Amino acid sequence: MAAIFSGAPPQGGPGYSFNQTPRTAPSGLRQHHGFYPYTDNGGSTLGISGADFTILAGDTRSTSGYNINTRYAPKLFKIGGEGPDNKNARIVLSVVGFAADGDALKERLDTIVKMYKYQHGKEMSVAACAQRLSHILYNKRFFPYYVHAILGGLDEEGRGALYSYDPVGSYEREQCRAAGAAASLIMPFLDNQVNFKNQYEPGSGTGHDLQAKVAAPLPRDTVEELVRDAFTSAVERHIEVGDGLQMMIITRDGIQETLTPLKQD
Amino acid sequence: MDSLVAQYSRPAHADEGQSPEEQLELLQVTPELSLKFALPPVSQSSSWLRAMTDDYSNPNCPIKIAHGTTTLAFRFQGGIIVATDSRATAGNWIASQTVKKVIEINNCLLGTMAGGAADCQYWLAYLGMQCRLHELRHKRRISVAAASKILANLVYSYKGMGLSMGTMCAGVTPQEGPALYYIDSDGTRLAGNLFCVGSGQTFAYGVLDAQYKYDLTDEEALELGRRSILAATHRDAYSGGFINLYHVKEDGWVKHGFNDTNPIFWETKLNKGEFSNVTAEME
Amino acid sequence: MGGFDFSNHNRNAALHAQGVPLPKATSTGTTIVGCMFDGGVVIAADTRATSGPIVADKNCEKLHYIAPQIWCAGAGTAADTEFTTAIISSNLELHALSTGRKPRVVTCMTMLKQHLFRHQGYIGAYLVVAGVDPTGCHLFTVHAHGSTDKLPYVTMGSGSLAAMSVFETQWRPQLDKDAAVELCSQAILAGIFNDLGSGSNVDVAVITADKTTLMRNYITPNQRVPKQRNYKFPKGTTAVLNEKIITKEDISKYVTVHELEDDSKTATAEVMDVDQ
Repeated sequence: MAAIFSGAPPQGGPGYSFNQTPRTAPSGLRQHHGFYPYTDNGGSTLGISGADFTILAGDTRSTSGYNINTRYAPKLFKIGGEGPDNKNARIVLSVVGFAADGDALKERLDTIVKMYKYQHGKEMSVAACAQRLSHILYNKRFFPYYVHAILGGLDEEGRGALYSYDPVGSYEREQCRAAGAAASLIMPFLDNQVNFKNQYEPGSGTGHDLQAKVAAPLPRDTVEELVRDAFTSAVERHIEVGDGLQMMIITRDGIQETLTPLKQD
Repeated sequence: MDSLVAQYSRPAHADEGQSPEEQLELLQVTPELSLKFALPPVSQSSSWLRAMTDDYSNPNCPIKIAHGTTTLAFRFQGGIIVATDSRATAGNWIASQTVKKVIEINNCLLGTMAGGAADCQYWLAYLGMQCRLHELRHKRRISVAAASKILANLVYSYKGMGLSMGTMCAGVTPQEGPALYYIDSDGTRLAGNLFCVGSGQTFAYGVLDAQYKYDLTDEEALELGRRSILAATHRDAYSGGFINLYHVKEDGWVKHGFNDTNPIFWETKLNKGEFSNVTAEME
Repeated sequence: MGGFDFSNHNRNAALHAQGVPLPKATSTGTTIVGCMFDGGVVIAADTRATSGPIVADKNCEKLHYIAPQIWCAGAGTAADTEFTTAIISSNLELHALSTGRKPRVVTCMTMLKQHLFRHQGYIGAYLVVAGVDPTGCHLFTVHAHGSTDKLPYVTMGSGSLAAMSVFETQWRPQLDKDAAVELCSQAILAGIFNDLGSGSNVDVAVITADKTTLMRNYITPNQRVPKQRNYKFPKGTTAVLNEKIITKEDISKYVTVHELEDDSKTATAEVMDVDQ
């Protein structure tokens, strides 16, 4: 009798129509297409740009279903610079979704940015890199990379630059962006705390004369605190987020990388 | 039989690294707007793509592509007004409220974006490139008719592959005057005076058709464009954010702001007495 | 015993066939375990309840009372474990009253399996039943389809494999009480850290011949770190279209109004467990 027990409640059985167990493939797809090359590896990333810096962050947990593949799988990658450890790089790419596609994408972009420097004798600008990344993603329009990418760096004037992408390469420069499993938990928080959405200046008027709070670039320590709070809170409420928080802070002095522990449950 | 054996007995590292073609591609200097796309190794790649990315036919699809939404453009005596909202949705999720859905192809040609955001961004950039090449080759600016035809022919060649775009090309050229074309991913290409495209199109048409006339002044025309988008953002959940307004004139286009809908809505309601369906009073 | 109302079944099946997603029930992703020892039995559970990938409750109770000396740990659909144990608990009480004897664990287990079998797995309750009665100490598992097992140590739920690996490496016969509690909590911790469906704290219940000890939050290895910033908004931050003030005199026409002793005190019927 015990042999029929499979740990998780039976999937797709009549008793479990409210199927809670994460699936490797969305049900209904498989009967039409045997080809399912994607897995969702969970996790979340976020980026915020400031006046003279950009911060990218991501948790380091990699999951499939209810299992943890590893507690340390970085989602942040330095792009360009010199050698395999990207010395003196000034651009960071974060990818969340299917880790293998993320790795392939990083590898592609890194090679291109390095080739650019060999051929032109100068670093690729973030704007150029951002457009190139869009084209790499769109080149697989009919067989997409299953990723949400965020690219961060400093623009030509030294201001923080942040670009976010959809899986097939539509992109936009933004102040802040959260992606991945907990994006729906983090993004509203960022809208409120970074762009001051739904916040008004107290006492600036009554009724319709009340003035909206104006967003201005935040100082670096504030942004770092917001990032930490966003992740410690996401860990509380999302099962696929946890283990470690990897942060990369891009300033004119280079990229500073930190790793802080998160809850492991 | 021997070929079968050979197929399975090649060294394991044969597939590693990049193929010579891939290496060559990486070496290429220009990030070309390529027409070579990677395809999945299945026989029916378009239906596979639909299963993976079409959230309309399959709400559980794993890859949610950002979609655009209400756009309009109309011709009048003073040129062409182009107006859009700025919301991008992926399924039920509002992916962004700050999308630039008017794409500046060059200083006198505008394109609008509805449907797949990436498709529109990429192919309108491609169109911009083709327009510039036309200028260099022929020493004069491309006509709007020719530009829209490049785009229409292009998407028609990908028909059935899963592209999703509904776009308008607006421009003024000496030979044509103000010209407006609608092109979509089915291959449709229409010249016209007035178009609304996207999930909020019906709401925009409602306002636009009611108040449109060719003799509108510049100010009236801009206000009509703004008001039509406002109506669409008010009733369509997939439209919203900011109102993006452009005026295309003989000597090129002029931008008339990227403004938040919320204060515009309240101003319209309170100062003009419209939107009486919304109440600000209690009980 | 009340039955189920199936009047919406055909409608829901038709909607589902058209692609309307079914509502999500809160499920206790869960690790639950049980272990016998000399003179009693221990059961333990984690405290995470999930709805899809979202944590619905960080500190829920998965150890259910059935009788003073019979307790049950539940996995599966939260509502089903809650109500099934409650129904069996009251029926067992009536049974005990009519027979004038203490309820037995086998009786409880039989009632559970018959109830669950009758509903053919539609009640998604996966249970570990443990207790002490005049015939001795007992430990069972009951599955949603009605099958049961009787074993010296058991695990269930999505974290059952992680928990079982602890039992299979560390269990030995004739454990004493403290060793059994330690072993069970280690098994739950394995589930908490290695299974995404399980998390937060460890609850333990020890049942011996003379008493039951429920140790709620026996181990709390996952305390939230304090937030770095303060998210209090100054008064007036939120836009208000209109306001209306209802005076104490007006409202007292409809409800009874009690004065608080001073402004520092608030009237709270039940204290909620929230982050500070």
